[in-house]
Amino acid sequence: MEKISVKIDGRTFEAAKDQCILEVAHENGIYIPSLCYNSEVASSGGSCRVCLVEAHQGGRMRLVTSCNYPVRKGLEVKTDTPLVHRIRRGVLELLMARVPDSEAIREMAAAEGPTDVRFRLDEGEYDRYKCIACALCTNVCADVVGVFAIGMVNRGADKKPDTPYGKPSDVCIGCGACAYACPTGAITMKEKDGVRRIWGRDFDMVTCSVCGTPYIPQAQVDWIVRTTGKDRSFFDKCPDHR
Amino acid sequence: MTDVTQFDSIIDRYERSEESLLAILQDFQREFHYVPEEGIRRLSEVMEVPESKIYAMGTFYKALSLTPRGRHTIKVCTGTACHLKGAPQILETLERELEVKRNGTTTDGEFTLECVNCVGACAMAPLTVIDEEYHGQTRSSKIMDIVKKRAES
Repeated sequence: MEKISVKIDGRTFEAAKDQCILEVAHENGIYIPSLCYNSEVASSGGSCRVCLVEAHQGGRMRLVTSCNYPVRKGLEVKTDTPLVHRIRRGVLELLMARVPDSEAIREMAAAEGPTDVRFRLDEGEYDRYKCIACALCTNVCADVVGVFAIGMVNRGADKKPDTPYGKPSDVCIGCGACAYACPTGAITMKEKDGVRRIWGRDFDMVTCSVCGTPYIPQAQVDWIVRTTGKDRSFFDKCPDHR
Repeated sequence: MTDVTQFDSIIDRYERSEESLLAILQDFQREFHYVPEEGIRRLSEVMEVPESKIYAMGTFYKALSLTPRGRHTIKVCTGTACHLKGAPQILETLERELEVKRNGTTTDGEFTLECVNCVGACAMAPLTVIDEEYHGQTRSSKIMDIVKKRAES
């Protein structure tokens, strides 16, 4: 793979061409906050705007989302300038105004210094929902899991992830990847007495034959068996006892 | 409404490609005055496109409606000029006479009443658009005559 050198905060690093700024920075111990990006999900990133950095190239500077901006020869990145911090505070302030109950965003904002939220939602808009509509959940469902159970519905301020018609989906396998990937913990997944509830549907869990822990939804086992041809008996035991 | 052949006859007019989806949904809208749930499901089966994708499209475009709409659509312009020229009175008259709330459909399925924000013909304010017909300088006392005429056509 073609290697290029890129300068981040005054230090020079080796990076693979087309790798995104954020990954190069994280690999080299430079922290850039982000919410909607997940390196395992090709289509993720670019929507939460928290990871904005200064990209200097050819005598010009642009603010770019580091999670989906590919590194190129001669690129110099600055992640720690007054401008970056000011913009980041602004982005976090808007996110906090949108989802006041999200601990993840509050913590991130606190790290950026005191952030006073100057915006308030109207009475009716405030529904204790932590979603920032970044679409990471739907991207995971489509690109990683491959079942397309949820999609981004509506537009503008009403945009949110949901199943068609908000009804329990018959293609959902209850794997919980969406809830796991969600950066703000907006998706509720509950488990009780060997039944997992997510997106309004109840999934019977398969119990480990050794420790008796319900550990995977039956629907997910069916999906894996159907798509990979793996032997069904493999799922009799949980990963700890295989 | 569960007869899939009526959906298939529309779907068959198009290529089996994801690019045809929007055109098909528009045809559904024209034919049934909304995009029926069964239609989305059938389209998903035939095109082998996930239902969630098609449903997302249906919620995204304003030209598509997922709930049944009337045979006629009445759009009352409530832009600034029309507002000043008496659009609120027109709207109130229509709501009262047709017994329907704004953005709602009459129980007989004849009319859907909508508010729009400026149709770009402020010189004709206040403006009411019935189906594709533009009625300028409408007055609340005359609006029902226009609507009745349209219903008979």
